[in-house]
Amino acid sequence: MTTVELALPHVSRRAGQIRTIGATLAAVALGLAAGSILIVIAGGRPWSTYRDMAGGAYGSLFGFGAVLVQTAPLLVIGLGLALAFRGRVYNIGAEGQFYIGALAGGAAVILLPLRLYPLLIALAMVAGIVGGGAWGWVVGKLRARWGVNEVISSLLLNYIGIFVFSYAVRNPLRDPEASSLASKAVPDGSRLPTFPHLFTHVGILVGLALVPLVWYVMDRTPFGFRVRMMGLNADAARVAGVDTSRMIVRLMVISGGLAGLAGIVQVLGVQGRLETTLSQGYGFTAIVVALLGRLRAVGVLLAALFVSGLIVGGQAASIDQGLPYAIVLGIQGVFVVFVLVADRFARA
Amino acid sequence: MDWSAIFGVSLFAAGLRLAMPTALAAVGECFCERAGVLNLGLEGMMLAGAFASFVGADYADSAAVGVAAGIGAGVALGAVMAFLSVYLKTEQVINGIAVVIFAQGLTAFAYEKLYGQSGASPQITPLSNVRIPGLASIPWLGPVLFEQNVLFYVALALTLGVWVLLYRTRFGLSVRAVGEAPAAADAAAVHVDRVRWLALLVCGGMAGLGGAVLVVGQLSLFNVGITAGRGWVAIALVIFGRWNPLLVLGGALLFGLTDALQLRIQASSGGINASVPYELFQALPYLVTLAVMVAATVRSRRNAQPSALGVPFTKGVSQ
Amino acid sequence: MEGIVKRFGSVVALGGVDFDLRPGEIHGLLGENGAGKTTLMNVLYGLFPADAGTISFDGRPLRLRGPQDAIAAGIGMVHQHYMLVPTLTVAENTVLGERGGALLGRRSLEAVAARLRELGERYGLGVDPFARVWQLSVGEQQRVEILRALYRDARVLVLDEPTALLTPFEAEQLLPKLQTMAAEGASIVFITHHLEEVMAWTNRITVLRHGKHVATVRPQETSTNELARMMVGRDVTLVRLATGTAWQPGSADARREKPVAAPTPVLCAEGLEALGDRGTPALRDVSFLVAAGEIVAIAGVEGNGQSELEEVLLGIRTPDAGRVRLAGGDVTTLDTASRLKRGLGLVPSDRYRRGLIRELSVAHNLVFDRIGEAPFGTRFTLRKRSILARAVELIEQFSIRVSRPEQAAGTLSGGNAQRVVLARLLGRDLRCLIVAQPTRGLDVGAIEFVWEQLDAARNGGVAILLVSTDLDEVMALADRCHVIYEGRLVGEWARGEFDRERIGLAMGGVRADVRETDRPTALAKRDVR
Repeated sequence: MTTVELALPHVSRRAGQIRTIGATLAAVALGLAAGSILIVIAGGRPWSTYRDMAGGAYGSLFGFGAVLVQTAPLLVIGLGLALAFRGRVYNIGAEGQFYIGALAGGAAVILLPLRLYPLLIALAMVAGIVGGGAWGWVVGKLRARWGVNEVISSLLLNYIGIFVFSYAVRNPLRDPEASSLASKAVPDGSRLPTFPHLFTHVGILVGLALVPLVWYVMDRTPFGFRVRMMGLNADAARVAGVDTSRMIVRLMVISGGLAGLAGIVQVLGVQGRLETTLSQGYGFTAIVVALLGRLRAVGVLLAALFVSGLIVGGQAASIDQGLPYAIVLGIQGVFVVFVLVADRFARA
Repeated sequence: MDWSAIFGVSLFAAGLRLAMPTALAAVGECFCERAGVLNLGLEGMMLAGAFASFVGADYADSAAVGVAAGIGAGVALGAVMAFLSVYLKTEQVINGIAVVIFAQGLTAFAYEKLYGQSGASPQITPLSNVRIPGLASIPWLGPVLFEQNVLFYVALALTLGVWVLLYRTRFGLSVRAVGEAPAAADAAAVHVDRVRWLALLVCGGMAGLGGAVLVVGQLSLFNVGITAGRGWVAIALVIFGRWNPLLVLGGALLFGLTDALQLRIQASSGGINASVPYELFQALPYLVTLAVMVAATVRSRRNAQPSALGVPFTKGVSQ
Repeated sequence: MEGIVKRFGSVVALGGVDFDLRPGEIHGLLGENGAGKTTLMNVLYGLFPADAGTISFDGRPLRLRGPQDAIAAGIGMVHQHYMLVPTLTVAENTVLGERGGALLGRRSLEAVAARLRELGERYGLGVDPFARVWQLSVGEQQRVEILRALYRDARVLVLDEPTALLTPFEAEQLLPKLQTMAAEGASIVFITHHLEEVMAWTNRITVLRHGKHVATVRPQETSTNELARMMVGRDVTLVRLATGTAWQPGSADARREKPVAAPTPVLCAEGLEALGDRGTPALRDVSFLVAAGEIVAIAGVEGNGQSELEEVLLGIRTPDAGRVRLAGGDVTTLDTASRLKRGLGLVPSDRYRRGLIRELSVAHNLVFDRIGEAPFGTRFTLRKRSILARAVELIEQFSIRVSRPEQAAGTLSGGNAQRVVLARLLGRDLRCLIVAQPTRGLDVGAIEFVWEQLDAARNGGVAILLVSTDLDEVMALADRCHVIYEGRLVGEWARGEFDRERIGLAMGGVRADVRETDRPTALAKRDVR
């Protein structure tokens, strides 16, 4: 049985949903408990650390703004991954797709001599989606046509994608005056505006708009239903007329495209230029977000907010308490394992 | 570019040396995949082994302790993977990714805890090469094969040992049966889950050793990105080698040679100002691995792949 | 074995069964599908622990923690679906799971091979010990299973439906070998649901029904009719069903009175050629047609290309040559969904694996091939209420036993599961239905239901292609019959010409008038699943 079914209560919806939510909460609680062990090892005090983290993340507008900045990419990528994982298409290459999308969109913005900035931004986003989608398409086609394992191929394309990105930054798009290795800046007019009091760019709105859309696709369209069929039993799905090959490619293109969109939004909203530090491992963290969110749109939103809170809170706590920021990474790692275990027991 | 300098004896010697960590992980993965378990946590196991071996060698000032620690860390993660995949029987792909994230997280945490304050990246004393008298004097083959450090020979012996284990022991027979037709093995009184547990522990140990060889045997330093995807390459190599340990070893050696080649070309072509972008060379091993994996999959995957790979075994499940 | 009880969840598979076996006898274990015969023997072999009851062997109690204890006690079992590892050699399969030294080199395997050859000669079960199992024919694989049991010095040999996968010819060859073994003191349990076999081959017969022991008799003291009644315990029609005689399609005679105008072929296969999964040819120049309102059967032992044929017709596998036509239009290059829309349907042979999605609800399983079409929604919407309404209708119409439509399909029993699959297909506007092994593993009541549904569909004008290994089924239902052997269609009979013996021989690759002698080499070339 797969993570896919665990995320989809179909028998008595109420009981199944309650059990799944309960399992997730249990996993989170266990994860935080294990985290406190890590905190103790690092020489801190769990309760005050967690309090600092929560305060740093959610206690102020500034903190919450930072949380939203982190949530934007995690949410968008996570939604794409959730859809793909439902069909048992394990796209682990979101990181590479993110970078390629950022590159495509960034190149569009830097190179196109357009002054109509809203249009420019829109074009950049389209370019980002196309770039990421194309990068994902390769993986999907390899799997659909020849059965090449998509986990490995998408991972290898991660590394290759990052190399392509860093070449582009170093050479054609380079900013000769910049102190560190970075591309030219995007025109100021194409930077995403920020909310007046919230210290965050409007890119989060893209993610929020996607949530109901992805929910609808997953839950209320024949396409979403067929994705689920394929994820549960590809053989039976084929006999029932589902074109699994085409669906695999579509899922990779969609999740790749969304990762690419996240990439260009990050460029326009945060950095303002193409740098190799564009992603802080968003492609992988989004996997955690998708799993924690039980492959459901609303779940992914909540999980993205939560994990972002961990990240921001972790930064705050490391400053205040002198704890290594890597605690956050440790906790995330523990979480994922606990989620899987809790799942299994929720089912039994 | 100085081609003769690039293609000299030292290329092959370096190639073999570079290949060893990946080869160990790949052969280990081959073994557990023959038992029917898809272990995608290999990258995490290598990383954990690399880190543990570094800490062990540093604190105990002994390479042997480091290596032992590395193997131990790998086995421990192998047990985690076995717990998830063989005992809980949850989706193996997700379990593997979870183990990688888990290992990366804890390693980052532990590294910063132990070494974060010191600033510069710490080092351990590197292992020196062992020169096998007599054999090392053979022209060309001598320096390549017989002048490596101890760990190289240990690694080589172990990978060959896995072949013996798989094809010349009862346990290996059970492993092959379990990966192909677990129901048949079960009816023949083979304990399917137990065999899979053991196979995963072996795989984890080999991967951990691979990380240890990387750190203690070659680089003598550590950073959180040190494995650089070798674990994933190893999994691709298993497909390339059609699940045969010797072919997998061969593939790993080829990969090592490519790696050594691209390093030398980079160095010789003048680095950052060269006309050919150095990122291309950095990407070369991954491109080659991808191409190789695709070619191998297209040509023969369906016949060579263990039939029960990735499918948990439950007694008495009807058709 | 005394008072054996075995429960699987809430289902009582065995409710206190007694069974005894004497040395040197061939004891038949008879019952319809689901009666508990296999379960009882699985308990004996240690695959499942009994919930209650005792087993004694040679007068001493026997505790079984697993097959290893059964094997050690001298019990060997040949399962219906052979428990062999295809990629290993015969010798390796024999040695698998044996306790012994850690190393297993060439020399040890040589010794094993020598013993296997010796046993093979003694009982007429010759097989190459170094051949890989996947290269062997089905009959040879069975020999391997038996040899393996003999190699482990089995004194009790249990054979589960041994003739199920054999050609009629191979089946005939098996009996003398079993008798030789029995003469040397081995005891043999012969599980089957075929009455003639059990009457001809055994010394004693035990009948099970619904997990209970009904009677133990000697063949001389009983008749097939009486056995059938004991097996089924109900009225005469079902008795005749069980004996495979005399099931008459409902209005067959009435139908045949009607003058049939030139029948319009609904499904046409022309010159189909395809490779199997192992790269060997699975279909060779297959051509046939099915007209509206007729049932055409393709009989044959499993592994002769049936599954590849199903896949090619449905669009899951691309043929290397040939065409498929549906209702006059060429569909060879069309995908599955398009073919389904044109009125094609498939009841797959493995209903749990490809016929249902266990984790989805029964309601979803009843409509999932039509999601996205009216009335269940449009291309972009799902109408859950229509889905549920239709599901309720179909549940009623096909008497599917569920507590709620939202119940997960994986909890359904075999007969119910098949009803769901049939309901999903027959509830549509079908023009051509392909059914593969539709009654495998079903009890008599379910079999009757399926046959009635197929008959009704045929009378309603649907063209039905029946792929079956069961000659009884073919002879009861089909209007015309082909036989498939090694990927080729050999022979065609119309209903009036049905000759059980000739069809049976054709299934074994024998041409009509030629009597076959043992041809191991020809059989060895077969590509076996």
